[in-house]
Amino acid sequence: MANSSENGGGLEALLRLKSTDPPLFLSPSTDLSVASRLASQYLFSSLKPYTPKSPLDQLLTEGFDAEQIWQQIDLQSQPLISTIRREIKRFEKNPDQISKSFRMIEANGRLEGEIRGNGKVGLEQESDELEGLDDHTHDDDDEDDEEDDDLEGAPEEGEGRECGEEEEDDEEDDKGVESEDGGTGVEDEFLKIKELEKYLKEDEAREYGLENKKETSKDKASNVDGEEGDKDSAEEDERLALFGADDDYEEDNLENARYEDFFESKKTLRRKSKQGDDSDYSGGEDEREDDKAFGSQKKQVLSKHEEQLVKLRTEIEEMEKSNLDPKAWTMLGEVTASKRPKNSALEVDLDFEHNVRPPPVITEEHSLSLEELIKKRVTEMHFDNVQRAPKLPSKGPREVKELDDNKSKKGLAEIYEEEYAQKSGLISAPLSFSDELKKEASMLFKKLCLKLDALSHFHFAPKPVVEDMDVQVNVPALAMEEVAPIAVSDAAMLAPEEVFSGKGDIKEEAELTQEDRKQRRAKKKRKFKVEQAKRAAKKSRDTTLSDHNDGKELL
Amino acid sequence: MQSVGTNNFMEVVGVASERNSLSGSLPPKPKFEPLKAHEISGGQVQFRKVSVPPHRYTPLKKAWMEIYTPIYEQMKIDIRMNLKSRKVELKTRADTPDVSNLQKCADFVHAFMLGFDIIDAIALLRMDELYVESFEIKDVKTLRGEHLSRAIGRLSGKGGKTKFAIENATKTRIVIADTKIHILGSFANTKIARDSLCSLILGSPAGKVYSKLRAISARLAERF
Repeated sequence: MANSSENGGGLEALLRLKSTDPPLFLSPSTDLSVASRLASQYLFSSLKPYTPKSPLDQLLTEGFDAEQIWQQIDLQSQPLISTIRREIKRFEKNPDQISKSFRMIEANGRLEGEIRGNGKVGLEQESDELEGLDDHTHDDDDEDDEEDDDLEGAPEEGEGRECGEEEEDDEEDDKGVESEDGGTGVEDEFLKIKELEKYLKEDEAREYGLENKKETSKDKASNVDGEEGDKDSAEEDERLALFGADDDYEEDNLENARYEDFFESKKTLRRKSKQGDDSDYSGGEDEREDDKAFGSQKKQVLSKHEEQLVKLRTEIEEMEKSNLDPKAWTMLGEVTASKRPKNSALEVDLDFEHNVRPPPVITEEHSLSLEELIKKRVTEMHFDNVQRAPKLPSKGPREVKELDDNKSKKGLAEIYEEEYAQKSGLISAPLSFSDELKKEASMLFKKLCLKLDALSHFHFAPKPVVEDMDVQVNVPALAMEEVAPIAVSDAAMLAPEEVFSGKGDIKEEAELTQEDRKQRRAKKKRKFKVEQAKRAAKKSRDTTLSDHNDGKELL
Repeated sequence: MQSVGTNNFMEVVGVASERNSLSGSLPPKPKFEPLKAHEISGGQVQFRKVSVPPHRYTPLKKAWMEIYTPIYEQMKIDIRMNLKSRKVELKTRADTPDVSNLQKCADFVHAFMLGFDIIDAIALLRMDELYVESFEIKDVKTLRGEHLSRAIGRLSGKGGKTKFAIENATKTRIVIADTKIHILGSFANTKIARDSLCSLILGSPAGKVYSKLRAISARLAERF
């Protein structure tokens, strides 16, 4: 049969997975993934007979990813788990059946002992795996969680849970088998709520027996939902209680691990809060359970409605009491450090406004983008250099009249004559060339230039620098580029600030500050003193001079 | 007009004599012609006498005609050299047009005696506002011995270039005669030249004076 060959291959794969070192599972390898897939397929098909209602005939692993494979497995295993649960309950009621069904199966002899031992081991493993689980438990079912982990890890990483799975699967197989051998359909019994209720009550009685023995365990389990409902916790308890309720202390501890074991009960918390400690709100559930337990101890024959009422009343009482009590420090308005316990602000999630923008996270992309920008800018030569403010155009360089060291050839009379002539306008400004012809030529050229300039609307380009040309009159080059036409322009074409020859900003009398006034006065005084000294010197000189003259005249 | 020939120093001798024609009836309004130069002083001739220092004797001899011609021809002033007294004498004529001519000629001759050139001194004849200012080095600062010599050297400069620079910049003429300094020019220009010379005497280096002069000359040039 093809099945048997497949089964053989699957078993081989399982064994291989079991034999591989756990660390090897951490690195993805095609071998392991193929083996895992085969193993999962084998398991799936072996479990197939116990799930008549499953839509899948076999586990489809070709071309499916982990999530899809898991979903298929989940599809199969959900009803299977409920079936198994029912079977377990049944066996709990009738322990003889177990031995009967086990004796029928001679193939796995070890199971007898294993069941007992496995109970503990399985539980330990369960609790271990419970410890490892965190967010992906959407159920409080241990075996479900186990399968989750196993099959998620199947294609990529198995952490030795395969062994656990193997054992668990064997267990499940056996149970499934024996339940079938047992005969009655498990599903029918499950739907009987009354029986369930009855069982719950019996279980409660057992609970109180367990409670007295319980101690707060330090193990933290991921099953935080103690609040989920009494039913779930009751189920959990009942399942745990199945496996040796009256056994060792340690067993007790583990089997009867309850919410109170992991979290402080509300009673103890109340005491602590009165002393000023943190109160964990999650102890409420236990409180309620306690009350209920006590209540039910007193009046066992309460109707459901009455029970509900009692529950409500207790809740109300508790709420009223909490209202009357002094509030927790988080509920008070403004709280200073002295009013709250030490380091309590660390535990509470405080919310305050950050007025500061969060610092930019330097990621690779960020730095890459920066580099890109820099490169682009450099290629474009588009820099953000600081532009120097342009200096105002200085005054046009005046014609520098060089001092003549030589004896002047003209007589003084001639110089004054020329000066007078210039002033009166008889002779125009001294020209560099004296030739008549040259004068005429320059006159003509000037006229021509004027006409040409008019053509270009008097937009000048500055004159080219010609070294041999003697330019007497020095007009600033900028003047040439002014838009205003020559005809109406001023010769200097300088702005007021350019004409202004003072230094710094000139303050008016009203604008002077006290320090300025003081400075001015000090300056004046200094000047006056200097002048005084000069005058005194002059006076003394004059007197000496007169003395001198008198002396001479006498001679 | 009587001319009184005296050998005095620049004396003004005025002889007043007027012909009076008076009749019994009221005379007609007298028509007076404008007075001639020498009539202002009562028809008397005016004299000026300029003494000649010995070191100017030879240059005077050399430049006599250049002095004589403009004075006699254009200013219409009589001029003669009194060899005995070593003076140049100037006298107004009848047809001297202006009363100030005599003074101008006297100043002109005096300037020549101080040491100025004829061509420079001629300006005195032609322009009214020119003056000659004289001062001594010791008026500015008492210097003795080497310092004095150095000051004089500073004033003139190498080959006289400092002096010429000042002259050209300020349109003046400067004569440095040992410790005496004479400046010929218009009032403002003389002042500038005097300031420059004083700063030189007081010890400022020539370069500094040059830079000042440059600025001043540029300003002066701009004005016209």
